[in-house]
Amino acid sequence: MLLRKLGTHMFDQIWHFIVSNFLFGDAGELKACTPLLESGIIDSTGFLEIIEFLESTFAITIQDHELLPQNLNTIENIVRFIEHKKGRE
Amino acid sequence: MIASDTTYRAIASVFDVPVLLHELLEQSARTHPTKTAVICGEERASYALLNTLANKFCNELRTRGIQPGNIIALIHENSLEFIAAYFGILKAGAIVAPLNTDSKPESLQAILTELQPRALIASAKQLAKTESFKETVFSPMLVIIGDFGDFPNNKNIPHTTIRRIVTDWTPVNDPKIDISPEAIASIIYTSGSSGRPKGVILTHNNIIANTRSICDCLKLSQNDVQMVVLPFYYVFGLSLLHTHIAIGGTLVLNNQFTFTGTVMQQMINEHVTGFSGVPSTYAYLLHRSPLREMREHLPDLRYCSQAGGHMANSLKLDLRSALPDHTDIVIMYGATEASARLTWLNPQNFLKKIDSIGKEIPDVVIKILDDKGIEVGPGEIGELVADGPNIMQGYFKDPNGTSHVLTDNGYRTGDLGYRDTDGFLFVTGRRDNQLKIGGNRVDPQEIEDIIMESGLMVEVAVIGVPDEILGVVPIALIVSKTRETAGEDLFVFCSARLPHYKVPRYFLPVAALPKNGNGKIDKSECMEMVMQLQKAHDAASQTRYSHV
Repeated sequence: MLLRKLGTHMFDQIWHFIVSNFLFGDAGELKACTPLLESGIIDSTGFLEIIEFLESTFAITIQDHELLPQNLNTIENIVRFIEHKKGRE
Repeated sequence: MIASDTTYRAIASVFDVPVLLHELLEQSARTHPTKTAVICGEERASYALLNTLANKFCNELRTRGIQPGNIIALIHENSLEFIAAYFGILKAGAIVAPLNTDSKPESLQAILTELQPRALIASAKQLAKTESFKETVFSPMLVIIGDFGDFPNNKNIPHTTIRRIVTDWTPVNDPKIDISPEAIASIIYTSGSSGRPKGVILTHNNIIANTRSICDCLKLSQNDVQMVVLPFYYVFGLSLLHTHIAIGGTLVLNNQFTFTGTVMQQMINEHVTGFSGVPSTYAYLLHRSPLREMREHLPDLRYCSQAGGHMANSLKLDLRSALPDHTDIVIMYGATEASARLTWLNPQNFLKKIDSIGKEIPDVVIKILDDKGIEVGPGEIGELVADGPNIMQGYFKDPNGTSHVLTDNGYRTGDLGYRDTDGFLFVTGRRDNQLKIGGNRVDPQEIEDIIMESGLMVEVAVIGVPDEILGVVPIALIVSKTRETAGEDLFVFCSARLPHYKVPRYFLPVAALPKNGNGKIDKSECMEMVMQLQKAHDAASQTRYSHV
């Protein structure tokens, strides 16, 4: 299921945003399952930038109580979370 | 809201006899062995277990030849392993140097070159940062991997892992090593004063004295449960460890503060009584967290303490309205050079003296001195100079830096401020223009030097401008050699050499920098220039300056 989604437009947009804003264009060893915070790719300030990007790009509102690792700590979790949210809205 | 005086006096009696830092743990392990000392993820360690772990660490170090007075670098994320290693090092009479886990390899190399530690205890992730230079710039006689990672390639250096040290949970007796309370306990690096971090030398006595004073002010008791989101390599975070181990409280370690929903939920589940942060911690909590909607579920939260730089009044008032009414806000002020804290604002005066850093904690004396070292009167601005048993011994391998700040009057904080007629202290600015970014002390010179290293600039000035989240962020005014120089290039260049928080948020190209009469760059005028540019930019566009 996830593999199918890896090539989706949503995945590409998130991937591109992270690579260009936090990795300076070099994806290096970034994977869909890489923990973004623990790996040091982003810090709390960068995290806010990602939230802002997700809300504006995908026209969603992320509630404060949804700021959980299972929703947002990897690209694959983010994709799953947004798809779930959009499915509900 | 606060523990009774009787309870407090009983706790304070812990300090009636001179103790070494690790003896605080040993004492708590004897007093309440089964009480939970640390919660970290799924792990829970009682005081007896934590002390046993520390003893095993100590014995391993001694078996491998570590002697009292040896320096041991500890580079590890907040964890049970960190705490066990920290106290194990102290029990062996060695000197612990907890280093910044956010450091880039280049910064770590500089510090480890200076420290020349006899041993290195690191998580696998941190150890990997030292691989390129570990055997060339310093030669540890021992490396301990603090988590369950494998030892990378080179095995020339004796090494082991926690898993090998802790093969069982059989209690081990406290080691008996003759250590003076005046012995050096730790070297804690500042986050970067004068362009480079400085190693602050602290004795057992220094830290014990400050621990005692903080416990006194906050009326800490064994019933306290502290949420720890600050790293232990930072002296504020470390003071949370010392104080709560001293009083037999519980530490809840959460290294995922960014996911505030998880932190808040854990505060509810673990009945947390104390939370501590720097201004950006609270800005983030107020900006993106379910604090307001969960406030009714925090009946146990006794207080929130804040240090690490000035927090804007608006933020303080927002925090006041967001927290439960029964939760006190304790504003504190300090420095690594003071073992942690120097002053506190009694919560009773929070609104009345909202701009103030309060008054001295017990045993500390602060004077406001003019340039000639003469004490000034109420309302007059001078430098805050602190004295007390918590003041450091000096900077590691830096006699000039030491003599500059340690004077007959005490420790020169570099902060300018005044005392009002009621005796409350106020800080108005930094003597040397250092920036406090998200609680980290940063010298603009360090960032300017890095930018100039690019070879693309004629001159540059880095200044700090107010930021809702970090308190202050660095902005660079750049005078380029060519028109083609893009902020993007500088952003990439700096990001490869500096931690994220030191990378200028914006690079603003200007034709020249304002100078004063003697040719030095006028930072006040630079600030004015930035404000004008920002105003013009805001009028023209809503997009960020950054990377342009």
